[in-house]
Amino acid sequence: VVSRPLAEEHLLVERARRGEARAFEELVVAHQEIAFRTAYLIARDVTDAEEAAQDGFVKAYRALGRFRTGSPFRPWLLAIVANEARNRRRSAGRRTALVLRAGVEDRFGDAAPSPEAALLAGEGRARLLAAVEALRDDDRDVIACRYLLELSEEETAAALDLPRGTVKSRTHRALEKLKEALA
Amino acid sequence: VTELERALVLLGRELELPATPDVAAAIRPRLARRRRRRWIAAVALAAAAVALAFAVPSSRGALLRFFHLRGATVELVGTLPALPARVDLGRPVDPDAAPFRLLLLDGRAPDAVYAADGGYWLRYPGALLFELRAAAGGTMLKKVAGADAPVRWVTVGDDPGVWIGTRHGLYLPGGAARSAGRTLLWQHGALTLRLEADVPLDDAIRLALSLR
Repeated sequence: VVSRPLAEEHLLVERARRGEARAFEELVVAHQEIAFRTAYLIARDVTDAEEAAQDGFVKAYRALGRFRTGSPFRPWLLAIVANEARNRRRSAGRRTALVLRAGVEDRFGDAAPSPEAALLAGEGRARLLAAVEALRDDDRDVIACRYLLELSEEETAAALDLPRGTVKSRTHRALEKLKEALA
Repeated sequence: VTELERALVLLGRELELPATPDVAAAIRPRLARRRRRRWIAAVALAAAAVALAFAVPSSRGALLRFFHLRGATVELVGTLPALPARVDLGRPVDPDAAPFRLLLLDGRAPDAVYAADGGYWLRYPGALLFELRAAAGGTMLKKVAGADAPVRWVTVGDDPGVWIGTRHGLYLPGGAARSAGRTLLWQHGALTLRLEADVPLDDAIRLALSLR
């Protein structure tokens, strides 16, 4: 994900609002990866995620007039894309399982100092992934946004259309469930 | 941050996720289409503003949709007012006196030519042709049809046109509004043409293509 200074991003948003599609395209390039990944982790289907990202960006372009000047662009965009992805998940009713990249080095090896740290080792990661996958949809979404996608609390709240307090409590609940599942 | 949270972040980085597609390239045509639509809407609104200068009865109801060709606008409205048919086109004139060369149906001379309403009316048996040299952006001729009227864009040869397949209202600057029958409106070169004849669309287009 390309990060750019906020002031520069606000300038791009302003130019896009005036109808400069080129400026909007720069915003798309900067955010397409996180938008697509967010859509994928919600919809769990490549085609659905691709469509959700595309439709989300086009809708965002049309809705630029309603964007609050000075506020961060990414949470606003993710809210639109994630909504598209949720609509597709509801209609599709299927889900591709998440898998780990092959050949990932076992970074922590045997030097695991605690049972939780053991999760960082090869087999531990597979167990952790299985536990995440076994969570119910709303818990899994909050874990996916906060940790797998490394979104901020504000971005998670926007993407999942939830108050920040609910993101906090749901994250806490989901982490507890994961701990239980891994115990 | 707990070990579990740290493990979840690392898990996210080690997931095999599909490659991010080039969303920017995929939506480029859609963004461009949107720009074109905005531009067309702006032009159409400008034409509508010009059309407001015409004396149109207020009873016609809400404007639902409109088509604009250079010099002519077709509006679809909720209620079509009752209008008289126009019978008098004024005094015939010498067609050679027209400031531009009049196009003739099938190259045949009309029964009569009238100069009125900013253009020329050519009367043929069963057909009435109006020729107008209009500047882009202005509206010299306005037609109003009911909400369900069969009005659509057509192509006359390579030229854009509008077919009004029903009785409708015709408004011209300075003239009284009148009721008109099936009409084909189209642009050809510098001219905006209007052919009124009680024939189906295919025949109207055939007649239009016979102009020379």
